[in-house]
Amino acid sequence: MASRTKQKEEARARRLAEERAAAERARRDRRLRMVGGVVVLAIAIVAVAIAVSSGGGGGASGLQKGATSSKTVASVSSLLNGIPQSGATLGSPNAPVTMTYYGDLECPICRDFTLNGGLSPLISHEVRAGKVKIVYRAFETATRDPSVFKTQQVAALAAGQQNRFWNYTELFYHEQGTEGTSYVTQAYLQGLARQVPGMNLTQWESARNNAALAAQVASDGQAGTTAGVQGTPTLVFTGPKGQAAIGTVATYPQLQQAVKKVS
Amino acid sequence: MTTVSATGTARTGAMTDRRLRIAILVLALIGVGIAGYLTYVHYQGLKVLCLASGGCETVQASRYAKLDGVPVAVLGLAGYIGILGSVALRSELGRVGGFAIALIGFGFSMYLTYRELFTIKAICQWCVSSAVLMTILFVLTAVRALRDEPATA
Repeated sequence: MASRTKQKEEARARRLAEERAAAERARRDRRLRMVGGVVVLAIAIVAVAIAVSSGGGGGASGLQKGATSSKTVASVSSLLNGIPQSGATLGSPNAPVTMTYYGDLECPICRDFTLNGGLSPLISHEVRAGKVKIVYRAFETATRDPSVFKTQQVAALAAGQQNRFWNYTELFYHEQGTEGTSYVTQAYLQGLARQVPGMNLTQWESARNNAALAAQVASDGQAGTTAGVQGTPTLVFTGPKGQAAIGTVATYPQLQQAVKKVS
Repeated sequence: MTTVSATGTARTGAMTDRRLRIAILVLALIGVGIAGYLTYVHYQGLKVLCLASGGCETVQASRYAKLDGVPVAVLGLAGYIGILGSVALRSELGRVGGFAIALIGFGFSMYLTYRELFTIKAICQWCVSSAVLMTILFVLTAVRALRDEPATA
């Protein structure tokens, strides 16, 4: 009798243990399946994020041709026409407030600020009205090769010798290529120069060899470092009431506020 | 004998699970600190404190600093906060959810580090620290998601 009860109990214990083990296995399987599903989902999300990050960007397309370039040239001309230019300065030399724009022509964030941020309305209103002048200073950030940086910046300053620096710079930003690619070639720089209305190309080419312009690029960089510039765009406002700086893609109201602060 | 050893294992299991959660908590908090700082700096338009000269500004000026207009610092901040939340959840959802966030963060951090090294060719130590944190968090949350639940119930 006693041994039969014992046998029964043992059998029950065995069955219970098996059931527990089966339940444990099922739980583990379920968990593995869930983790597997999560891995697949996470990989899909990362793939989409990488595709978004790598693709398109700011619509960087490189040198424009045909109707697209005519449209770009027309919009740049309507923004700048009638505003005095001298070298890298845009606006009346007597404007009470100066905004120094530290930028890199290959920097996508500068492109953002120049084309979609507060710069265009500031040019259309305050600069056009003679209240603010803008001085562009070269500060290397996104351009990886220092010699390319110098070449493209000198090309813009060479346009400045014909008081067309800002046309050239605006066109550069409009037709900026994909960051990290070597789109800035002689053909690209000359293509931009050809788009600038009224540019004397022979004079422009000879000005590109002007050592004084290369020296200006170097001194711009030093001035930026001295001013504590760490990124581009950095904007420094100077006026009768002192100085203010903005180190981000500023909106038009932010620029207006800074102008007000120093005037 | 069996009962003693069973509770023994359950107890050590609970202990290491606790330790694991503390480790995830601490790392996620450091992550919130880094990503929070970068987000703050971004929206205030301040300069990033940068030890290696030149790196941070190049990375910041790059188009990879934003994902479809959203600064990656904000994405990182959201991820770290998510992992932090998952530690508070003791359920299956907390374990697997935390792992999912850490895996996405790890994957995207690897991509960004690749961009820094090979496309932008500049390194920003904040980004590298965050990538290292995400890698460790990925391993820890994977361990937490995969192993047997501690017999607490």
